Amino acid sequence: MANALVSGGVRSWYTRAASGRWTVPAFIIVWTVVVIVPLFLLLLYSFLETKGFKVVWDPSFHTWDRFFETGRWTVAMRTLRIAIGMTVIELVLAFPFALWLAKGCRSQGLKAILLTLLTIPFFLDLSSRTIIWRALLGSNGVVNTVLMELGITSEPVEWLIFTEFSVFFGLAAPYFATMVFPIFLVATLIDDEYLDASRDLGANPLQTLFLVIVPLCLPGVIAGVVFTMVPMMGEWVVPQLMGGGKVNMIGRSTEDALSTLNYPTAASLSAFVLAILVALLAALTLLTRRRGGVAGLFEALKL
Amino acid sequence: MTQREEDPRFGAPTRREVLKTGAAAGVSVAVAGGLSVGMTQVAHAASDTIRGYGTTTVQLKDWSLFNESTGLTMEFTPTDANMGNFMRDVTVNEVGDTHDLFFTDGGTQYKLGPEGFYLVIDENHPELALWERTSDNYKRGYITQTPDGTQYGVPMVNNADSFGYWPEAIGVNPNGLEEVSWQKLFENEEAKNRASIDRNWLLTMPEVAFYMQVYGKAEIVDNANLTPEEAKAVGDWAIERKQAGQFRTFHTGFEEQVQLLGNKEVDIINCWEPATKNVNAEAGADVVRYAYTVEGYFKWGIGAYIPTQAAERDNLNNIYKALNYFLDGEYRAYQAIERGYGGPNLDLGVKYAEEVGWPADQVAAVDAVQKKVDTKYEKPFWENLNPDHQEAMEEEWQRFLNA
Repeated sequence: MANALVSGGVRSWYTRAASGRWTVPAFIIVWTVVVIVPLFLLLLYSFLETKGFKVVWDPSFHTWDRFFETGRWTVAMRTLRIAIGMTVIELVLAFPFALWLAKGCRSQGLKAILLTLLTIPFFLDLSSRTIIWRALLGSNGVVNTVLMELGITSEPVEWLIFTEFSVFFGLAAPYFATMVFPIFLVATLIDDEYLDASRDLGANPLQTLFLVIVPLCLPGVIAGVVFTMVPMMGEWVVPQLMGGGKVNMIGRSTEDALSTLNYPTAASLSAFVLAILVALLAALTLLTRRRGGVAGLFEALKL
Repeated sequence: MTQREEDPRFGAPTRREVLKTGAAAGVSVAVAGGLSVGMTQVAHAASDTIRGYGTTTVQLKDWSLFNESTGLTMEFTPTDANMGNFMRDVTVNEVGDTHDLFFTDGGTQYKLGPEGFYLVIDENHPELALWERTSDNYKRGYITQTPDGTQYGVPMVNNADSFGYWPEAIGVNPNGLEEVSWQKLFENEEAKNRASIDRNWLLTMPEVAFYMQVYGKAEIVDNANLTPEEAKAVGDWAIERKQAGQFRTFHTGFEEQVQLLGNKEVDIINCWEPATKNVNAEAGADVVRYAYTVEGYFKWGIGAYIPTQAAERDNLNNIYKALNYFLDGEYRAYQAIERGYGGPNLDLGVKYAEEVGWPADQVAAVDAVQKKVDTKYEKPFWENLNPDHQEAMEEEWQRFLNA
């Protein structure tokens, strides 16, 4: 009897919640408290300044002036350039691999092994994996030794490490899996009959790829881009170890500001990047408007 | 006017003020990558375990020595020498909730002592038996006290920092006794793209400023306490050297120092002396050297400080027992041999080395450490790690990094 009452109560609550009567207002309240208010505070902080470790309540453009004068804005732009560039590279590398893994790889054993191998980056500490490259790519490292032994170069190739190139190189492996997995998952959902139908209707493989597979994979691509680009923007282990501190990215620059308890500058960096991300999202929404917007792309998953 | 009123350092936020702004600050910190210590700290009960937090080089390489001598167990959370991060962890992340002792460069007590983050040292505590015989040269002053003489710290180790180098690569006598100019690090054509400097503005900026001051490259009054205008001049000159290709890299931690010097990725690097010892332990005795300089040094000392929260944990006796150990011979002898560091009661270090039967050369090496440090202190030096215009200095250093 008691169980039935409880069960009925839960069902009643669930029914009310599912009807949207409480869900939407509750979501808006929680979202406002957890996301909107902190973002507002973040923006507010960027108009304050610190003096002797103390945040001073005297709103001004001082922090933003210094943000541009000290070149911190270039850090944000460099971060964006590297994150976008590396995301495009990862997409180019990951898409064919994920597609093959989902549709081309016939051996279940091999597929399982490859998927397991892709999870390795999630288990090993990034700095431990990255520091190895320094020993390999350094002036006296294995690569330079081999190049000189083979007579390809007479002196060590110094741009292999402590340059933007080496940062790109160092980011490739850690963020490959985050691009592969979402595309792989979406690609596995594509019904083979769609591909057969495309072929039966006379489409060549390239037409099937670009007119059928790619559009159906877009939700995975978008998820992959988000899971790859966003964490990469906060990356600071690889830029420090591979860039040798010469390729300053936003994560490290923010940490530097926080080391002097300079929260306004950290807030200005974050707000600047956030503004750029919002602009990118707006651009994405505009570009996908004809297909029903970003949300519309995910309708493809209802296949 | 009191020192407190005169000194802008005392304009820092109180614990309560910091906590009041905690929500917004937390947002900023979280955006930057999360709290390094976390918000799940819980106070722990008194035990025979001493939890230390601080600069990694105060550690014994084998803490079992400490355990056997005191009957306590040391659990150490190592950090780098970034004082800003340390102060953030103490004030915002409240690392004192979970740790019994802090180990950091002298200067933090100027702010954290009066603001209530450190306990005043009980100089008459029965477990601190060696306090009385410890020289005032060590236990008083910049490392352990505030300007009004309040005792917040116990001295641990000290040294004078310069740079490590491969002698033949920069063309100096390999015996390590030749005085080497800072010019080799900052302006040497032979070391172009073969030099590395610490990315930490608090360590490197005063060194650059010192060099500029000595050679008249800018009007600088106190190289460790730059005005915004002086900081800009230092930033401009450092950018010039960066764009001339002087620096191969900007390093961040002790391990990086060892790797860069050990792999011969660079020929000269401003680093901690233990880094050269680690390289020599692998590459061979005295293959790299730590510089005696022509011009002067960064003088520093690390103290041990008790977090205020420790008073509520009923393990103060154990904490004082640990502090007394750091004043005793065993710790002193091992710090001298393993790190090349000096410190208080070196005579007890020599006595310990003799009593436990160390070889004569090692006993002599312990004895020589203080002579080395004293020799360095005869040169000009600076020791301020708590400058008045930190924001201006950090921002100018950012300009340099981003140039």
